Amino acid sequence: MRLLRLVLSGLAVLTYAATGRTDDLPPAGRPIESVVDQFVDAKMAADKVTPAELADDATLVRRLTLDLVGRIPTVGETDAYLKSTDADKRTKLIDRLMASTAFDRHQAIQFDVMLNGELARQGRGSVRDYLTQAMKDRKPWDQIFRELMLPGDTDATKAAGEFLRARVTDADKMTNDVSVAFFGVNVSCAQCHDHPLVKDWKQDHFFGMKSFLARTYEAGNFVAERDAGVVKFKPIKGPEKTAKLMFLTGAVVETDTLRELSKDEQKKEKEAADKKKDKTATAAPPRPKFSAREKLVEVALQPKEAEFFSRSIVNRLWHRFFGSGLVNPLDQMHSENPASHPDLLKWLARDLAAHKYDLRRLVRGIVMSKAYSRDSRYSSESRPEDKYFAVAKLKPLTPQQLATSLKIATTDPKSFEGLKESEFEKRIEQAEQAGRGLASLIAQPTDNFQIGVAEALLFSNGDRVAKEYLTDGGGTLLAAAKAAKEPTDAVALLVRTSMARPAGDDEVKALTAYATERKDRAADAYKQILWALVTCPEFRFCH
Amino acid sequence: MFHKRCTPGEHAVGRRAFLGASTAFAATAFADMTGLNVLGSSALAADLKKTQKRVILLWLAGGCSQLETWDPKPGASTGGPFRAIPTDVTGVHISELMPQMAQRMKHVCVMRGLDTKNGDHGSAAKLMMRGRRDEAGLKYPDLGAVVAREMGRADSKVPDYVTFYTQTEGRSFAPGDSGFLGARYAPMELTTNNIPEYIRKLDGISDLDHKQRGELRDLLGKQFTKGRQSETMGSHNEAYERVRGIMASESLFDISKEPQKVRDRYGPTQFGQQALIARRLVEAGVPFVRVARAWWDSHGQNFETHQEMVPELDHVMAALIDDLKDRGLLNDVMIVTLSEFGRTPGINSSLGRDHFASAWSSTITGCGIKGGSVYGKTDDKGNKVVAEQVDGGSLFATIYAALGINPEKNYYVGSRPIPLVNPGVQAVEEVLL
Repeated sequence: MRLLRLVLSGLAVLTYAATGRTDDLPPAGRPIESVVDQFVDAKMAADKVTPAELADDATLVRRLTLDLVGRIPTVGETDAYLKSTDADKRTKLIDRLMASTAFDRHQAIQFDVMLNGELARQGRGSVRDYLTQAMKDRKPWDQIFRELMLPGDTDATKAAGEFLRARVTDADKMTNDVSVAFFGVNVSCAQCHDHPLVKDWKQDHFFGMKSFLARTYEAGNFVAERDAGVVKFKPIKGPEKTAKLMFLTGAVVETDTLRELSKDEQKKEKEAADKKKDKTATAAPPRPKFSAREKLVEVALQPKEAEFFSRSIVNRLWHRFFGSGLVNPLDQMHSENPASHPDLLKWLARDLAAHKYDLRRLVRGIVMSKAYSRDSRYSSESRPEDKYFAVAKLKPLTPQQLATSLKIATTDPKSFEGLKESEFEKRIEQAEQAGRGLASLIAQPTDNFQIGVAEALLFSNGDRVAKEYLTDGGGTLLAAAKAAKEPTDAVALLVRTSMARPAGDDEVKALTAYATERKDRAADAYKQILWALVTCPEFRFCH
Repeated sequence: MFHKRCTPGEHAVGRRAFLGASTAFAATAFADMTGLNVLGSSALAADLKKTQKRVILLWLAGGCSQLETWDPKPGASTGGPFRAIPTDVTGVHISELMPQMAQRMKHVCVMRGLDTKNGDHGSAAKLMMRGRRDEAGLKYPDLGAVVAREMGRADSKVPDYVTFYTQTEGRSFAPGDSGFLGARYAPMELTTNNIPEYIRKLDGISDLDHKQRGELRDLLGKQFTKGRQSETMGSHNEAYERVRGIMASESLFDISKEPQKVRDRYGPTQFGQQALIARRLVEAGVPFVRVARAWWDSHGQNFETHQEMVPELDHVMAALIDDLKDRGLLNDVMIVTLSEFGRTPGINSSLGRDHFASAWSSTITGCGIKGGSVYGKTDDKGNKVVAEQVDGGSLFATIYAALGINPEKNYYVGSRPIPLVNPGVQAVEEVLL
C-alpha cells in the first residue's frame, strides 16, 4: 500500500515535470469529469449559488441521446435505461451511443455547422462528407485542421478542400472564418481599424492572418497556392504597410516570399486556374516550395502558440453540450472577455493537447460530469446566471435533430424492438434520411435564437408534416394508438413515444378527456393529441 | 439632432402604463419572453409603437432607368427619345412616361444623386436592401427586417414583413433577409401565389379542432415551462400564439374584399394587385411590405422596355398615393422606390442601357419626408453626380430618420454594438420634415 502511494506520488511529480506546470491546476491524468465538477462546484460554492437537482433518468437518457447521436431515444431505449439497476448504466449508455455510426454522423453535422455556418450543406464532395469520414476514422482535431487547411488529393482528404474553395473568392472572409472556426477569434473588426475595445487585436493581426491565406486560388477541382504574395494595408494613420506572416499571438514566420508574383509565376497560375474549366483533373497542382498555409498550420500548433487552437475547440465543445460556452460569444476569446472558469478552460485545453486532440475523450468527459446532468428546472425565483452551469440550459433542436426525432416520435415503437444492433442502426439511419426534407425547411439555431412564426405555420398547416409524419398508416404510432383497447392506453402510448418518458397521471386524464370528447372521430383526436405533443416546447428543446 | 424630429407625445409612456406592464410581466407564466434581450420584445415596447409607421417598398428589380423616370435628360446625346414634362412642383420635370406621377410630385422626394458604386446584380441588390455591405463575419438585416423589428409588435396578429416577388428574374439576388436578427424577423415570402404558404388550414381538420388542438398544445406547454426559462422557448410559444391571428389575416391577401372602384384604381396587372394587397396589409398594421416588379435589366431595347414598364409603375404608384391619402394614411405609410442600381446614360449598340451605379435615382414618399423636394443633381448628360451625392448608407439613414427610428441606434451581436447604419453615416436632413 505504501509502495503504491509512493509510486503514485512519484508519477505526479513526473507529470508535473513533464508539463512544466507552474500554476495550481489539478494534475494531468485526472478524469475530465471530476475536474469539470471540481471547478464548477467551487465557483458555485464561492458565490453561494445552489445548483438545480440532478435530472431524472428519463431526462438524462433523452439528453444524452439527442446530444450524442442527434435524436430522441426510442421507447425501448428509455425503458431499458429506467429499468436497469446496473450501477454503471450511464457509462454503458454513453459508450454504446458513442460507438454507433449515428454518433459520427451527428457530430459531423455539428462540426460542419460550426465551421461553415450558412455554407454548411450535405452532398457528395462536401465538407460534411469529409467530416463524417473523419469522425468515423476517429481523426484528432489537429489532423482535421491540417487536412482542411492543406487538402490533398486522396479520396479521404479531397472533400476537405471544399472548406477553402467555398471562400476562395473572398480572402477577407476566408481569413475571418478560419480565425473564428479554429481560434475563437473574430478579427474582422481589425480589418478597418485596430479593435476599439480589445487591445489584443491590431490591423497587423488581421492582415497578418490574411497573408497566410491570401495566396490561395482555385484550380480545377482543387485549391492551389501561389509561390509568393504580398498583402498591403493602409492604417488609419501613417503610410501603407506590408503585412507579415503573423499569427494571432504575434508570432511571425520569416520569409522572402512577401512579393508580387513574377511574370513566369503569373503565367503558371493562369495555366493552373484555366484548368478550372477542366473538372476531370485528378491531381492537385504541386504545393509551392514555401507554403504560407502550411506555415499557418505549423505555427498555430506549436506549443507556445497552440493555446488559441486548443482553448477554442474546448470552448466550442463545451458550448455544444451545455448550450453556452465558458467564453461567450464563441468568437470573442480574448483578454478583455475572460472565461467564466479560466482555470478549468486552461486545464481542459492542456488535457486535450496532451491527449493528441482526441475529441471523443473530451466529449465523453463532459457528458460524464455531474454539471452536465442537472435539471433544467429551477424552483426558486432567483435563477442563477448561465455562467454557473447550475441549471441545464434549454437547447433548441437542430433541424436534423428535430426532423429525425419527429420521425421516431411518430413511428410505432414496436418497429424498433427485437432488432439486431446493426438492424437497429439501419432503421435509425432511415429515419434520419426521411427527415432531411423537413430539416431543410427549419432554421439552424444560433446564440439568442428566435423561432419565427414560419415554423409554427409549417407545423400547423404544412402538408409535409401532416402527410409524412402525422399519418396513421401501417407501422405508425397513430396506427398503434388506434389499435389500443382503451383511450387511456392510447394516450399513454402517444406520450411515452413522443416525449420519451412515462406519461403523468394528470396528463393522461386531460388527454383522455380530449379524446373522449371526440369519440366520433377518435383517429383524428389522436392525431391532434400527437400534434400538440410534438409542437410543445418539451419536444422542441433538448432539456 | 435626431431627437428633434421625434415628437415627445409619440414616445411618452405614462408611469401608470409602465407600472401596469411590469406587474403584468411578473404575473405571466412566460416571464422570460419579456426579458430584456438583444431581440427584446416587450409590452412596453408595444406601447411605444402605437403610432406605428409602415413602409411599402416598390422594388424595381434589375435596375430601372433614372433617365426614363425621375431624372430625364431631354435633348442630351444620352437622353433617348422621351420628353420631360413639368410637374405640380415648379421647376421639377420627370419623364413623359409618368404623367400621373407628374400630378403628384408634391408628395414625393426624389433622390437624384445616388452613387452606390456597385453594378453587379447580386451584390448590389444585397447592398440596396441593407444600405451597406455585409461584413466577413456578420450578416446585416435588410430594410424590411429592421422596420419589422422596430415597428412590429411581439403579439401582432399580422405578419411583420411580407414580400411579393412573383417573376423569377433576379429573385434569388434579392431575397428578404433578416441577417443577424434571425428567424423571428424573417419575411413571409410570396413567390408563386398571392396567398402565403401555410396560412390556410389543411382540409383534414375542422376549424374548431384546429383551434382546440392549439389550446391543448398551450396546456401541455404550460406544464413544461414551469420552472424553466429561455428566450428561445419564449419565441417558440410566441410563434404558436401568433398562428391563429396570422391565419385570420388571410383575407388581407384577398382583393375581392375591396370595392370594384378601388380595384379599378390599381388596375388589373399583377403589380397593381399586389400593391393593393400591400395597402391592405399596411392598413392592418403590417410594418413592411415589399412588392417587387421585375425585370428592368434593359441591356437591349431599353426604350421599348421602359415604354412598357414605366407607365405601369406610374399608374400603380399614383394609385397607392391617392388611396393612402384618401384613407389618411400618407403620414404614417412610406412608399419607397428602389432598384439595385440605375442604367448607363450611354446607349449601347443594341439600343440598351447597361448597369450603372454612379448617378441614379430613388424616391421616398409619405411619413416624415418633405414632399416636392429633389435632392441631388447630375450633370447634363447624367454621367455623374455634381451636387448632393448620396450613397446607400445615407439613403437608409434618411429612411430610418423619416420613420422616427434613430439611425445611430445600436443592436447587439454578443457584446458588440452594431448601429443601424455604419458609424459616421448621416441622414439627409434637407429632405426630412
